[in-house]
Amino acid sequence: MRDLQVSFSQTQRVRFQSALQQLKDLSPGSGPAATVVVADSIPVNLEDSVLKGHGTAESDGQLVATVCGVVERVNKLVYVRPFRARYKPEIGDIIVGRVIEVAPKRWRLEINFSQDAVLMLSSMNLPDGIQRRRTAVDELNMRSIFEEDDVICAEVRGFQHDGSLQLQARSQKYGKLERGQLLTVPPYLVKRRKQHFHHLEDDGVDLIVGCNGYIWVGEHLETGENVMLEDQDNHMEKDGKSNLKLKGDQDEEGTFTSVETRRSICRIANAIRLLSALGFTLSLEAIIDTVELSFASNISVKDMLAAEFYVQTAEREVERRVSKLRKKA
Amino acid sequence: MATAPTTYSPSQGLERRQQQQRRRIFKEEDWVRSDGRGFNQCRPAFLRTGAGNAASGSAYAEFGTTKVIVSVFGPRESKKAMMYSDIGRLNCNVSFTTFSTPTRGQGLDNKEYSSMLHKALEGAIILESFPKTTVDVFALVLESGGSDLPVIITCASLALADAGIMMYDLVSSVSVSCFGKNLVIDPTAEEEAFQDGSFMVTYMPSRKEVTQLTLTGEWSTAKINEAMELCLDACLKLADVLRSCLKEAANAG
Repeated sequence: MRDLQVSFSQTQRVRFQSALQQLKDLSPGSGPAATVVVADSIPVNLEDSVLKGHGTAESDGQLVATVCGVVERVNKLVYVRPFRARYKPEIGDIIVGRVIEVAPKRWRLEINFSQDAVLMLSSMNLPDGIQRRRTAVDELNMRSIFEEDDVICAEVRGFQHDGSLQLQARSQKYGKLERGQLLTVPPYLVKRRKQHFHHLEDDGVDLIVGCNGYIWVGEHLETGENVMLEDQDNHMEKDGKSNLKLKGDQDEEGTFTSVETRRSICRIANAIRLLSALGFTLSLEAIIDTVELSFASNISVKDMLAAEFYVQTAEREVERRVSKLRKKA
Repeated sequence: MATAPTTYSPSQGLERRQQQQRRRIFKEEDWVRSDGRGFNQCRPAFLRTGAGNAASGSAYAEFGTTKVIVSVFGPRESKKAMMYSDIGRLNCNVSFTTFSTPTRGQGLDNKEYSSMLHKALEGAIILESFPKTTVDVFALVLESGGSDLPVIITCASLALADAGIMMYDLVSSVSVSCFGKNLVIDPTAEEEAFQDGSFMVTYMPSRKEVTQLTLTGEWSTAKINEAMELCLDACLKLADVLRSCLKEAANAG
């Protein structure tokens, strides 16, 4: 909410603020009492055994916070959930990242974590789809797979003993992302779901919601069996080296993206920008709902980030939450 | 416009006379400060978090005419050239804008202030919480109106808290100037130019720990005690201002 820089008119401001107030009233009681700043003492009953969690420390027999945030209690565990934290990876997370370095047998990726992530050559599928040992030739050809500044999508494999992060991309759905937009949002707006890859069939758009707060909106690409077979055919025809060249030719043919698709990409991207600026959770439903709202109220792509649509989105969110509450009751 | 002189500078003699006059005023028992404050009165403080968007945390501080902006980046991976370390690194840099002082100069990095800022903050940050990584603190002085370093340190601790970096406590800092028998808190640039001695303390109020203390000029033990008490009390009050600023930012969303 803090980077909200929109100039509202008088009526828009009133509507916006009343919507925000309603949202505040609807959210279940996280009052201001639960927020702490650095060195505030957290009231605990020290006679019960307490587990000190993240963001807490003991000083003079008192539990104090070491970061600004909200106090959370789970049974005996007491921890502080920070307001503005970096992404904290968990095993199995789908993430989107950018290659910053091609090193021996590995790529280094920037993923909004405090350290760079490592994708080993051995922990990803080769473009020809064959399972085999990686040779020195493969190592030399690493740049033909991913180069510096490529945006790619991968899965968190695990942590090394020194705390560094390992990724893997052992499926056709992972890999280089092209022809689209990369958006960065605060990572806490992305909740972990069963599905992070979305194919919006109406628009022909792929949406990848990375757990690290990097979101990819791009043209839909067919992945899976077809592509693999095609690649293998090429492989049969010519030897390995010309296969690479052929792949390049294919790219050139395919770089045309229709205006319609580009418009949908921008519309979805703007919907995400809007939701993250308002601080709403980025679920697929919310994104699609915002896109539909923009269609319904006949708002063009460039006007989506104007004041009027901010107000409409906030009001729509109120409606959505009210109807959700009614369903529960 | 053609007749108006293009530049104007007072004659050397006049300037010197004015300076001497001022010095004499500061020597006296009782005088009025240029902004009308009492000797034990600090300038009004204005603090806000979230001054910049690109940084992981940032803060802006305005104490009278002293204006400072601090951005914190990281924790991010340390450069390869650095050796492996179990604890995190803190990297501080203080720079001045070209228009920060009355005499226009080049906006130089201030090495002395950078290392003092580092010393003042490193005791407060839990460096063990981010091994192998670096936190960068960049302070930019927009206008230098006296007591720059204390303002930078206070603002930096606010920016660190905003960035969500684990700290034992907030750090607040206040300086005192000595004029003969008088102690003047939170001196302006003019007062700093004529002071006999200066005293600065950086303090963690909740833990009651001093992270840094600098003393220049001639002081007697009694005076140091008095200055220390004055500073610690001011730091305590300044920390309350920091806290309320963070609380406000938290509740705003």
